[in-house]
Amino acid sequence: MPTITARLEDLQSLIGRELSLAELEARLPLAKAELKREEAGELTIELNDTNRPDLWCAEGVARQIRAHAEGGLAPYTCYVVPGDEVASPTEAVIRVSPALQGVRPYIAGFLIQGITITDDGLKQFIQTQEKLSENFGNRRAAVSVGLYNAAKITWPVRYIDVDPQSATFVPLGFDEPLTLREILERHPKGIDYRYVLEGQPRYPLLVDANDQVLSFPPIINSRALGEVKVGDDYLLVEVTGTEMHQVLLAANILAANAVDRGGTVLPVRCEYPYDTPFGRAVVTPYDFRDSVRVAITDVARVLGQDVEMPELGRCLAAYGLGVMVQDGAIEVMLPPFRRDYMHPVDAIEDYLISAGYNSFAPVMPSDYTVGELSAIEQLAGQVRKLVVGLGFVEIMTNILTAREDCTTRVGLPDAPLVAISNVMSELYSVLRNSLVPSLLRMEGISSRATYPHRVFELGEVQVYDETADLKSRTEVRLGAIIAHASASFSEAHSYLDALFYYLDREYELAPVAHGTFIPGRAGEIRVGGRPAGFIGEVHPAVLEQWGIQVPCALFELTLDTLL
Amino acid sequence: MAEEGAGREALLESLHNLEERALPVLAERGSADEEALAAAAGMQEAQARTALGWLQSKGLAALVAEEEHREVRLTETGAAYAENGTPEERIWRHLRSAGATAMPVLMEAAGVEKEEQSGAIGALRAAGAITIGPGGKVEATDAPEPATITRDRDLLRAVRERQPAPLESFTPAEQQRLQEMAGGKRKGKGLVAIDLRRRRTYALTEEGKAVARLLAERGVREEIGQLTPAMLQEGSWRGARFRPYYIGLNPPRVLAGKLNSYAEFLDFIRQKLLAMGFTEMRGSLVENEFWDMDALYMPQFHPARNIHDSYYVQEPEYSDPVAEPFATRVAQTHENGGDTGSRGWEYRFDAQRSRRLLLRTQGTALSARTLAAGPKIPGKYFATARCFRYDQVDATHASDFYQVEGIVLGEGVNFRTLLGLLKLFAAEIARATEVAFAPAYFPYTEPSVEMHARHPSLGWMELGGAGLFRPEVTQPLGVSVPVIAWGLGIDRMAMLALGLQDIRDLFSADLDLVRTRKVTETWK
Repeated sequence: MPTITARLEDLQSLIGRELSLAELEARLPLAKAELKREEAGELTIELNDTNRPDLWCAEGVARQIRAHAEGGLAPYTCYVVPGDEVASPTEAVIRVSPALQGVRPYIAGFLIQGITITDDGLKQFIQTQEKLSENFGNRRAAVSVGLYNAAKITWPVRYIDVDPQSATFVPLGFDEPLTLREILERHPKGIDYRYVLEGQPRYPLLVDANDQVLSFPPIINSRALGEVKVGDDYLLVEVTGTEMHQVLLAANILAANAVDRGGTVLPVRCEYPYDTPFGRAVVTPYDFRDSVRVAITDVARVLGQDVEMPELGRCLAAYGLGVMVQDGAIEVMLPPFRRDYMHPVDAIEDYLISAGYNSFAPVMPSDYTVGELSAIEQLAGQVRKLVVGLGFVEIMTNILTAREDCTTRVGLPDAPLVAISNVMSELYSVLRNSLVPSLLRMEGISSRATYPHRVFELGEVQVYDETADLKSRTEVRLGAIIAHASASFSEAHSYLDALFYYLDREYELAPVAHGTFIPGRAGEIRVGGRPAGFIGEVHPAVLEQWGIQVPCALFELTLDTLL
Repeated sequence: MAEEGAGREALLESLHNLEERALPVLAERGSADEEALAAAAGMQEAQARTALGWLQSKGLAALVAEEEHREVRLTETGAAYAENGTPEERIWRHLRSAGATAMPVLMEAAGVEKEEQSGAIGALRAAGAITIGPGGKVEATDAPEPATITRDRDLLRAVRERQPAPLESFTPAEQQRLQEMAGGKRKGKGLVAIDLRRRRTYALTEEGKAVARLLAERGVREEIGQLTPAMLQEGSWRGARFRPYYIGLNPPRVLAGKLNSYAEFLDFIRQKLLAMGFTEMRGSLVENEFWDMDALYMPQFHPARNIHDSYYVQEPEYSDPVAEPFATRVAQTHENGGDTGSRGWEYRFDAQRSRRLLLRTQGTALSARTLAAGPKIPGKYFATARCFRYDQVDATHASDFYQVEGIVLGEGVNFRTLLGLLKLFAAEIARATEVAFAPAYFPYTEPSVEMHARHPSLGWMELGGAGLFRPEVTQPLGVSVPVIAWGLGIDRMAMLALGLQDIRDLFSADLDLVRTRKVTETWK
C-alpha cells in the first residue's frame, strides 16, 4: 500500500480550509487514507486503495476532501476531448519513431505555465512521480515520469530509438557525458532500473529539435534540460510506458495536480507512426470521458434501503463525480484523473463513502442457517480432548520448515517434499510432511522443562502426490511424543492403544523399517488394513541431530484415515 | 486464671510434633541453638529451625543470643591434598625415593598438574629442599622434610578431622595459614573454604516453660501423618491425633495435560461462529493461482501477485487444468467482464498462469471454491485457514499464520446487513459495544469496509475487514445472490488475548512457555 508524506499546511492550502489535524484525520477515510504519524506538521499517510493512483499524493487526498467540503469539484478544463485538435498548440509536438513500438511504445505530455515552482510543489511532484512509477508503473516497467524546464526546449521533441553504445549525454548527478550503456552500468538509477530494458538492442531517448537530450526513459533525465529547480516557471511533464491507458492516466493525474497548485496546463500532441488504442495522433492530457450508468434500484439493492435520486446525485457530486439523471438511472462520469470504474458497483461504493458508512443503520442478519464443523475438525476436537486427558500438552508450530528437518534430521534423507521455489530463508523452505520434526524441535529446545514430557501437536501437513490435481494434498495428523529417562515403545503403544479404545476404532501394528526409529522398535499403524501412521522409539542418531539427551518414543496418526 | 488455662490448652493443642519434641530439650537445657536442638531431639537442622521459628511465633521461645562465627571446611582440592599430599610433598617424596629425575617424568610420576608445577618447584627451591642440576634434572638435597610441607599436611588433616571446624579453634598462626589456603591467588582454587555462619540460641519464655510442663504431664502424643490403608483396615486411627498440616506451603507442581492456548483461542472463535450459524470450510495448503487469486478477480498483473508476495511451489509447477466452466468464465471476466456487466481488467488472461501452484496466500481461496461448489442459499461459511506470505520473519510477521474468514450468501444480503454482521462479530467476539466503520479496499469486494471495535478493557482495535463480493467474483462461479466476504484480524486478537508481544510466540515450541501460558482474563 502506498504511503506518502505531506505537510499539514500544504494540505490545508490545497483543501482551501484551515482544518485542524483532528478534523483532517476525521476526513481521511473519504480517500481510504489513514494517518500513520505526525511530526512537526509533517504527516505520514497510508493510502489503502491500490486502484486509485490519483489519491497517492497530497493534491489527490486534498482534492477528495475538498470535493466533499464544497459539494463537488469545479470541472478541470485542461483535458482535451478526442478529436478536438484546435486546442493543441502547433509547436508542442512529440514525434515518435517507428522502432519504439517494440521497446517502450507510448508517451504523453503537457506543459505547465503560470506558476513558479515552490519547495512543497517540487517535493510533492517528485513523490507523486515516484509513486506513479514504482507502484502504479510496476517499478518503471509499465510507466515512468519525467519533468523538464520547458524554457530550454526547442520544439518539436522527438521520441527516438538509439544505439546504446554510441548515444551520449550528461545525466543528472554526473558532470561528464556517458553512453546509455555506461549509464546502465554506472549511474545509480541505471543500475536500479536497467532490468526494464534487458534484451533490447536499441534504447529510447527523448531529444528536442536541436538534438539536446531531455532524458533516457525510463532511466534518467539529462542535466541540461531535465533538472528542475525551485523558481522555474515553465515546465514540461512527460510520461512513457508500455500500457497506453496507464500512461495517459498517469499524465492526467499529474495535470490535475498542476491545476490544483494554480498552474495552467497546455496540451502536447503525440504523433505515432503506428496504430495505438487511441489513434495515431493523441493530444494529452486526454479526456477519457469514462462513465457508468447506475440504476437507482441497483443502489437500493446493494444498500438495503431505498434511496432518493436527489440524495444519490448530491452524494456522488460531493465525491467529485459528474452526474446526469436519466429515467430512474444516473450517469456517473469519472473525472479524467480516474479510470477505476469497471462496474456500476464501483460508483455505488463511492456514493456510500460520500454519504458516510456510519450514517447507515446496521441490520442484523436474519437468515436462519445451521452451523457445523467439518467432519475432520469434529474428529480433531475429539482426539485433542482425549490426548489431553492422557496427560499430553498441546503445541502448535509453523508448517513451513527447513528441508533438513524433514529429511536428514529425521533419518529419512529421501523423503519427498513440497518445496518453495522462491525461498526467502532456508529455515522456511518446505512444507512439513510430518509432525515429527515439530515434536523433535520442541524436545531439542525444551530440555530445561521438567520431565517427563508428554507433548502432542494436531495439525496439517502437506504430502507430495502426483495423482492429486494440485500435485500434493493436505492431511490432518496427530503427532505425540514422550520423553523421559525411561520413555519406551511400550509406553507410546499404551497411549496409542488407549486413544483407539476411546475412539472405538480398531488398529493393527505391523513391524516396519523406518529411518526415524531404532530397528526392531518401529511399527506401521494400520486402520482397516491401510497405512494410517507409525510408532516407534526414536533412534539415538536422530536424537543427536536435535541435541536431545533423553530417550523419546512417538507416534503419528493420519486422522483422515479414520473418517 | 481459667482464661489463661484455656489459652494454654489451645496452645498445647496447636503444637506440631516437631515443637513437641523441641520443647523438652529446651526445658531441660535452658537454651539451645539449631544444631544442638537437632542433635538432642533427633531431627534435621532444617526441622529444628522450623520448630524454633514456630515456637517463637507463638511466644513460647525467644531468641537470647545471636553470634557469628566462621567455619572451615576442605574444598575438593583441599581434600585431595589432605589425602595424597600437596604437590610440594609429592615431588619431594618422589625425589627422595627415586633420585634425580627429569622434569616431565617427575611431574607425571608425582601426579602434579601443569598449573601447580612452577609454584611447587619454586617453593621447594626456596626452602633449599631441591636443586636443579645440569640437563634440567631435579634432585633432592639432604635437608630434612621442609617445615612448610609438614605444617600444611598437618593443618589440612586437622581440618579434615574436625570439619566443619570453627576458625577460632585454630591457633592465630594456623588461622593465618588457613586464610591463605582459602584465598588462593586464583578464584575457586583454594584448599579450604571459610564460611560465615550465624548461630542463634533460643530459650523458653515463661509461657513456654508452662506449656513445656503441661506437655511433660500429658506426654508427647502419637500423631498420624499420612493416613494409610492399614490404619483404615485396623481402625487404628480411632482416638489418634492427626498432625495438622501447614497449609500455606507451595505445593509441588503438577505436569498437567493441556490444550494449547492459541488453539483454545481458535476454538473460542469457532464456537462463536458455529453459534452464529456458520459452517466450516477446509482446503489444501497448496493452491493454484486460479482459486487463490484469479477467481477472486485479482488481475494477473496485480502487484500482490508476484514472487515478492507469494511463495511458489518448486516442482511440479502446475496443477491439472482448472475445471470448466469456471476457467473460461473467469478468464473472460478478467479480459472484458464477460457477462457480468463489468468492463473487466482489459488485459490478456494467461490460462497457464492460472495453474501455477503456490502456498495459499489467503483463506478467501476457500470461499471461492465454496461458491463454485454450489453452496447453500441462504448460507454462512467460515474457515480458520493457515496462510503463507513472502515476508521476512520478525516480531510482526510469521512465515505462516491463521486467517479466519468466510462468506454469507442470501437474497437478504446487502451493505446494511454487512454492517450488522460486523457489529455482531464485534459484540460476540470482542464484547465490543462501540464500533466504527471505514471505507477499505480489497480487490474482490465492492463496497469494502473495515471495522474498528472498542473492547471493554483493551480499547479500540482493528477487528477485521469485509465487503460484498464483486459481481465479477460471484457470477463466473455460478452464484447469483449477493455475497458478503469477511475476515477477522485473528493474529492481533490472539496476541492480545494471550498477552504476547511477538507474533512468533503464537507458534512457540518451548515447552515451558506452552505449559504455563493461558488465555488472559482481559479477553474472556
